[in-house]
Amino acid sequence: MSYLTELRCYDCGQTYDTSKVQRFCPDCQAPLIVYYDLETARHELDRDEFRRRPAGMWRWHELLPVHKKENMIHLGEGDTPLLHLPNLGTRLGLSHLYVKDESSNPTGTFKARGLAAAVSKAKELGITKVIIPTAGNAGGAMAAYAARGGLEAYIFMPKDTPEANIKESRIAGATVILINGLISEAAGMAGEKARAEGWFDVSTFKEPYRAEGKKIMGYELAEEFGWQLPDVIIYPTGGGTGLVGMWKAFKEMETLGWLENAHRPRMVAVQAEGCAPVIEAFHSGASFSDFWVGARTVASGLRVPKSFADQIILNDLRESNGNADAVSDEAILEAQKKWAYEEGIFAAPEGAATLAGLEKLIQDGWVQPEEKVVLFNTGTGLKYLRNIV
Amino acid sequence: MTFNILYVEDNSDNMRLVKRALGAKGYTVHEAPNGLEGIEKAEELTPDVILLDINLPDIDGYEVARRLRQSKNTDLHYIPIIAITANALKGDAEKALAAGCDVYMAKPINVRELWARVEAFVPDSSE
Repeated sequence: MSYLTELRCYDCGQTYDTSKVQRFCPDCQAPLIVYYDLETARHELDRDEFRRRPAGMWRWHELLPVHKKENMIHLGEGDTPLLHLPNLGTRLGLSHLYVKDESSNPTGTFKARGLAAAVSKAKELGITKVIIPTAGNAGGAMAAYAARGGLEAYIFMPKDTPEANIKESRIAGATVILINGLISEAAGMAGEKARAEGWFDVSTFKEPYRAEGKKIMGYELAEEFGWQLPDVIIYPTGGGTGLVGMWKAFKEMETLGWLENAHRPRMVAVQAEGCAPVIEAFHSGASFSDFWVGARTVASGLRVPKSFADQIILNDLRESNGNADAVSDEAILEAQKKWAYEEGIFAAPEGAATLAGLEKLIQDGWVQPEEKVVLFNTGTGLKYLRNIV
Repeated sequence: MTFNILYVEDNSDNMRLVKRALGAKGYTVHEAPNGLEGIEKAEELTPDVILLDINLPDIDGYEVARRLRQSKNTDLHYIPIIAITANALKGDAEKALAAGCDVYMAKPINVRELWARVEAFVPDSSE
């Protein structure tokens, strides 16, 4: 049983019914946040019982938005490994350096988590056709979950999206429309198509539930660390669903009384120098990011000129006393090589960006040697072979 | 003091949203449903800020911005223009800025961001 109660507008707090199809607040045009009856859950749930359940994201179903088991679309998402990085850690002077390696998710990336939740909820709400603009991996994940759940999938992606994303989407039966532009242009076109056809738009934060799937990364981390949160989390930030989702998870776990340590992690957003709207806004003190003109980076998942949830990302970074850093494509590709030959992990360029970001933070003295640091590798490097020389 | 905002937009839903949002902050919003009427109203009113949709039914927003920046009413050469589009085509942002717009916003229009963008040019009139 889910403890889901309502949706609330991030800006005005207006509540919305979860039994109806909702997207974002029509008055403020701001994201809707999912709420649960955590006070009741606090008395009824035993955090240590979750470990005894079958592995995967849905073992946390009480804290996810889908009510009926038959609507929970499962492909093996979640419970990705948390790996200690002794070799990189020794070189960087960190004894507690870890990676949460999301490459073992279905379709090879963390996108599986968010789309598992969103497509499952769409199915529960009776939606039969879903549409998404994507930089690549979210499209592949949506295609897979839609296929499994019996929904029709329509995907708008840039024509220079990695070939793996295009092929994995098409083989799962999705209709793929390649566009001459970036994800922002794809979002505009998908939005227009959704309005015209009445299809459900699963764009990042333009529906409430993808962040719920992503938040489970935060629950897994806490459980894996014995209900103590790490000191620093370094996260590659495109749309920001994972960062926002995890920060929400930490708040929820505090309310549930599950955490052993009082402090939440300092959250770090890493973007590419060729598309760094959040980094620029964070350091300028802005509440919203400017649309990034001329976005370019090898990390296609970071080629997001403006996130619909930029104000939430910025608020969460600041609330966590976190940081934000941009890294060059050269540094990303170099970090990808280091991660592979020093630890045997073939990271996606977005994931590799976190290692490049960590190196800068150490140089700046922002990360201390004794701190527990978690990098997020959001996907497998196998989807980006054309970047490899 | 009341500030005047001109919104050039053919979509009635967006017009309603923006009028309500900016009206709540004390701004007076003037409407223009197409590009040519937008230019005419801008020249007549000399508003404090112009919000400009790009996909208009007659001339596009880029052309509107270019004509405003070359208007005989020289005040219009410097009035802040905020382009607001559904960015359905590649390079909308680049083209909007090149045409003379100062800021680019993508739809859907987040109301708080709209307030922040407008307040960056003219103060909140409700205070």
